[in-house]
Amino acid sequence: MEQTGNIIEIRNLTFTYPGAETPVLKDISLDVERGDFLAVVGNNGCGKSTLCKVLNGLIPHFIMGDRQGSVRVDGVETLETDIGELARKAGYVYQDFENQIVRPTVLDEASYACMNYAMQDYLERGEKALEQCGLSGREKDYVWQLSGGQTHLLALAGAVSLQPEILILDEPIAQLDPAHADRIYQVLRELNEKYGKTIIVIEHHTEYIAEYCRHVLLLKDGHAEWKLPAGEALARVEELRSCNIYPPQVTMAAYELRGRGNLKCPGRLPSTLEEGKKAFEGLVFHPDVSWAHTRNRGTRMAAFEDVSVSYRAVKGEPRKIFEHLNLEIRKGEKIAIVGSNGAGKSTLMKLMTGLLKPREGRVLLKEQDIRDTKPEALSQIVSLVYQNPEDMFIKDSVEADIAFAMKERQVPGWQERTAELLERFRLTELKDRDGRLLSGGQMRRASLAVGVALNPEILLLDEPTANLDIATRREIMRTLNEMKDITDTVLIATHDMQLVCEWAERILVLCGGRVIADGSRNEIFGNDEVRRRAGIRPPEIFTMGQLLTPDAFCYTVEEFADSFGDAEGLGHAGLAGQAEAG
Amino acid sequence: MEGLKRKLSESILDKFSMDFLRNQVLKNAYGNDDTVIARLDPRALLVWYLFFAIAPWFSDNLIFLAACFFLVAATTLLARVAGLVLFLFGIGVFAQTGYLFLVSLFFGGNAQTILPLLVLTLKVAAVSLASITVFSGLDPDRLSNGLMWFGCPERLSFSISYAYRMLPMLMEEFQNVLLSYRLRGRAPDTETFAGKIKNLIYQVKVIIHAFYPLMLNTAKRSRTTVEALELKGYRYAAVNKEVKRMKLASLHMTYDDFLFLAVSVFWIAAAVLLNTLV
Repeated sequence: MEQTGNIIEIRNLTFTYPGAETPVLKDISLDVERGDFLAVVGNNGCGKSTLCKVLNGLIPHFIMGDRQGSVRVDGVETLETDIGELARKAGYVYQDFENQIVRPTVLDEASYACMNYAMQDYLERGEKALEQCGLSGREKDYVWQLSGGQTHLLALAGAVSLQPEILILDEPIAQLDPAHADRIYQVLRELNEKYGKTIIVIEHHTEYIAEYCRHVLLLKDGHAEWKLPAGEALARVEELRSCNIYPPQVTMAAYELRGRGNLKCPGRLPSTLEEGKKAFEGLVFHPDVSWAHTRNRGTRMAAFEDVSVSYRAVKGEPRKIFEHLNLEIRKGEKIAIVGSNGAGKSTLMKLMTGLLKPREGRVLLKEQDIRDTKPEALSQIVSLVYQNPEDMFIKDSVEADIAFAMKERQVPGWQERTAELLERFRLTELKDRDGRLLSGGQMRRASLAVGVALNPEILLLDEPTANLDIATRREIMRTLNEMKDITDTVLIATHDMQLVCEWAERILVLCGGRVIADGSRNEIFGNDEVRRRAGIRPPEIFTMGQLLTPDAFCYTVEEFADSFGDAEGLGHAGLAGQAEAG
Repeated sequence: MEGLKRKLSESILDKFSMDFLRNQVLKNAYGNDDTVIARLDPRALLVWYLFFAIAPWFSDNLIFLAACFFLVAATTLLARVAGLVLFLFGIGVFAQTGYLFLVSLFFGGNAQTILPLLVLTLKVAAVSLASITVFSGLDPDRLSNGLMWFGCPERLSFSISYAYRMLPMLMEEFQNVLLSYRLRGRAPDTETFAGKIKNLIYQVKVIIHAFYPLMLNTAKRSRTTVEALELKGYRYAAVNKEVKRMKLASLHMTYDDFLFLAVSVFWIAAAVLLNTLV
């Protein structure tokens, strides 16, 4: 029964979207072995999603265009079959997976495709798919009761239910916190190893590629550059960087150290923590930078006094979010709020804007109780940028959106300030476009510009780097760092620990409706108990440093390279260590 | 009086907050799937509804109408309909007939005028409550299956259950867009009475404006949905009789359904009997 050989065979595939000048995919030839776990990487617009749509038959059966060459999926030429047949060979999970869920309840969604293809045992198939995707026990739930990670698993179950040999996932973990992301990949690994599915992921998170994937395919400008085993592929640092892909931090660190002549690495560069541990074994740790933050003692901007909040529930008791929360925020602080999904990060922000009133306790802004103040009146002091930037766009052009609040309030010189903001956030060329139609990074920049338009004293950002690929995330991070001088006091709610480490001066950890930790990054990431309870995971490079020596607190590749090994330790770090000991 | 005036002119967005509205709508759509009514077979309920939506219009008999009214009132209670819907029902009935009574009193009417008005009110109320029971007590997905059994097109029933799936998402998004308007816009001052009126107009305007971004966001979203439906074989199903049969196979008339119909029939029969005796 177990077949071997190639499940996908693509020969000289070229595809051009209707109306487009140049082809998206150029002369691609590719073989994917049965049972492979393949990551597809490449910069934005290199044709990754298009390639996947070629495999599941949306191209050419649903999306017309000029397709040349041959694509054989599980032995069948896609041109000669139809979508229904192909859907049973290759399942697809979109990046915006919540939009592919069309049914109200979980089991219904999981079995919907099977029912449509008139399979008599559709319910059993749905149940089996839910079990394979780790959603057993949620059959009767409504889809909106699921968390983001579970919703993704459900979208996956919907594809798995047809029992296709191939599963294709477009950026499966872009929107998820680390715990949920792990869960997804564990499920994928099980589908791969236990059920023998061939898995293809489009993925930017190279740490996950190193951990889970077997092969990596690099697409560059619509052309397949190479397909290599994962470790080997990720070690090609320069080539990946030129395509805006960031190899795992461990690889980057090894690359950096080798470049400085501090690390002899005869084989390929390490790509996982395991490999890193071996490769960095001989290095000596030189603590040189002090990362202790002095606590800000500026004037108090905002305070929570004994605040309790609960939400009305659709069913049953109201859900308690906060119980007796106490917190002070001082002028000039750069605060990151972390915690798992549903820990109350967004609620905290809504309380500060006055959109939500506490059931008990007081919220003070500049020493004023805001219970009776309208949110409109507070918007000069506090500004909130939502997680979903689309909800920030209420006008039909970026320029009008940025100008809107200032115009409404007759802020003197609003035209100049709009122009200035457009320039500052590099949006001048896009100013007439509708915000919704911009790319992820541009959309995010525009929403930040909208957020700071009124020059608020406190800026609240809800997940500013969610849903972005790593290169765009870097860009937004740079923008946020540049913004440090525009707005004084900034709070960011985020899962992105890289952002936390590189930007925040104070970190608040929310868990179970309380602040369980509040301090500098060393205090938070150095505390196992807090990390475990709140489910936060430091950047890989930090974990790498900790594995080598518990004294190492390195948050960036540069810090790591600065702290480990030196010119004298070249190649014989172990000896240097012995000499010091002697 | 002062207090009342203040209440009336206070921001509708504040008192009648989107959050509350959303909660009520969701409660109505998803919160009562475990009631006696929700468990009934949608076909039985639709047949039942057919009677109570039509019969009251053709009768002027007070006893019969009262019997209908009490029965549908009981089913409405059983369906645990959300408070907001009942409130709107109250307003609706009053707007239909209640004010006529006040007007007739004003023009020198007396208790005599009550009777015809009571008949009309009972008719309207009975039919409305029957509708509320069926459309609000039954979850939309089962309702759409029921409609399909009676030969409504597949597309209609898919639309109903898709709306049912999308509703919470849309409400949340609408809320966010409204907040964007609210936080960035500037509401008129509410110190003076004219200001309050202006404020009310402003709020209504904002609500209307907020639909525009909502629609664009939905349009954007639907690109994925359309492709996903294609992959899930929606088009196959639409032309396949077998699929329709499979879908409807989940409908079962049970003992409870017959009991429900029997009790209704008995109750109405009793009312008719009582009427002939009186």
